[in-house]
Amino acid sequence: MRVFSGQRAWLLQRFTAIAILVLLVLGAFPLVTTDGSAYERWHAMATSTHGVVLVLAFFVSMGLHAWIGVRDVVLDYVHAPALRLPLLAVVAFVLIAVQIRVLMILT
Amino acid sequence: MQRQPVTNGAVRPLPKFLNLAQIRFPVGAIASILHRVSGVVLVVALPLLASALGESLRSPQGFDAVLESATRSWFTPLLFVGVWALVHHVFAGVRHLLMDIGVGVRLSQARASALVSIAAGIVAVLVALLAWGLR
Amino acid sequence: MKLSIYRFDPDADERPRMQDYDIELRHTDRMLLDVLLRLKEVDDSLSFRRSCREGVCGSDAMNINGRNGLACIHPVSELKEPVVLRPLPGFPVVRDLVVDMTQFFAHYRSIRPYVIDDGPMPERERLQSPEERERLDGLYECILCACCSAFCPSYWWNPDKFIGPAGLLQAWRFITDSRDTARSERLAYLDDVYRLYRCRTIMNCTEVCPKGLSPSHAIERIRLALVRESS
Repeated sequence: MRVFSGQRAWLLQRFTAIAILVLLVLGAFPLVTTDGSAYERWHAMATSTHGVVLVLAFFVSMGLHAWIGVRDVVLDYVHAPALRLPLLAVVAFVLIAVQIRVLMILT
Repeated sequence: MQRQPVTNGAVRPLPKFLNLAQIRFPVGAIASILHRVSGVVLVVALPLLASALGESLRSPQGFDAVLESATRSWFTPLLFVGVWALVHHVFAGVRHLLMDIGVGVRLSQARASALVSIAAGIVAVLVALLAWGLR
Repeated sequence: MKLSIYRFDPDADERPRMQDYDIELRHTDRMLLDVLLRLKEVDDSLSFRRSCREGVCGSDAMNINGRNGLACIHPVSELKEPVVLRPLPGFPVVRDLVVDMTQFFAHYRSIRPYVIDDGPMPERERLQSPEERERLDGLYECILCACCSAFCPSYWWNPDKFIGPAGLLQAWRFITDSRDTARSERLAYLDDVYRLYRCRTIMNCTEVCPKGLSPSHAIERIRLALVRESS
């Protein structure tokens, strides 16, 4: 995956890390400052327009961050191509499935 | 792979010393491998998180079901593993982000921040256990 | 002093083994190398590289009580017994404590460890200000002993593709040399998911460098230089 080689992957890893931290803080804010039961606060936050964007951005960032991280782990330990490619394919599939699932939940 | 001829004419690879149990790792290396382990734990947790998202937004009952399985089921011990993983990964990750911009790169500082990262994860689990025990 | 030393004779041994030694220390045994050289009187078959005996040639790098170091500058007084000596981790063992350094030096050669200037020859010399020369401090002192690369987990898992801390430190030494004109090419060569980016900033390298250098810091400078190059 040329687009994820070297510097780009390393930068994206850092960028998504910061994004995740920021989104966690932004997401936690309405949960602790609004009124209502836990479910009400959660539901209100996650179904509002900016809430949907936040949660979606969170999962997209997590997915990208996870992909780069797992790819690094596989590149380090798994050298046999027969093992490496299927493993990466499975992980990619799961991560993409998560994005689709989240998209379906929020829309 | 380097090979050397043996007296009987056959070749075999040269041995390597790589017994990790016999290598004395610095604290930074411990923080680093735990950063990797916690990362893998979080990747495994991601699909579960997506499921929990769906369940918790379906209805108040769904929300309660999520809390129930998190705090009062066979899954609960895994929750604490998840708490450790999240806290350690974030602390160790922030340590890396800071080192990237030149903060805490000296060896003494790097060792200290590594220790803090490891301690943070342990403290987080203890606090979570306490909170769970007192609920 | 009690020692336990890794032994492997390619002609006689199926696999490596640990051999115990016990030797009477003399007041002249200041450094670990002194002890090892006297051990040769007891067991001449014990093999290890050594030369300068003052920490500048890098020959006697080995794993001492779990950490890499140079035997010639490792004080006997600081050694916990039994002293466990093993070859540099992850490197192919030729015999006892002697390892194959081919791969290690191949990585060093690959980063082109020489000033590149194909422009017109200078009248006399290529001038360098004191400030420019200072940028080489902490880099030029590397003796290529391999203590760092042999303590780097990323190098253990990919010794053929990851350049390793020593090679990368030397790469930065030439990138930051004001007399060198091939900065862009050098950086472009390193911008690879294996060559540079296997590094996870574990910092094992800096922990064991017997010259007190910081390969992790040099690697970070390379990363920042790459970011600046692309922007």
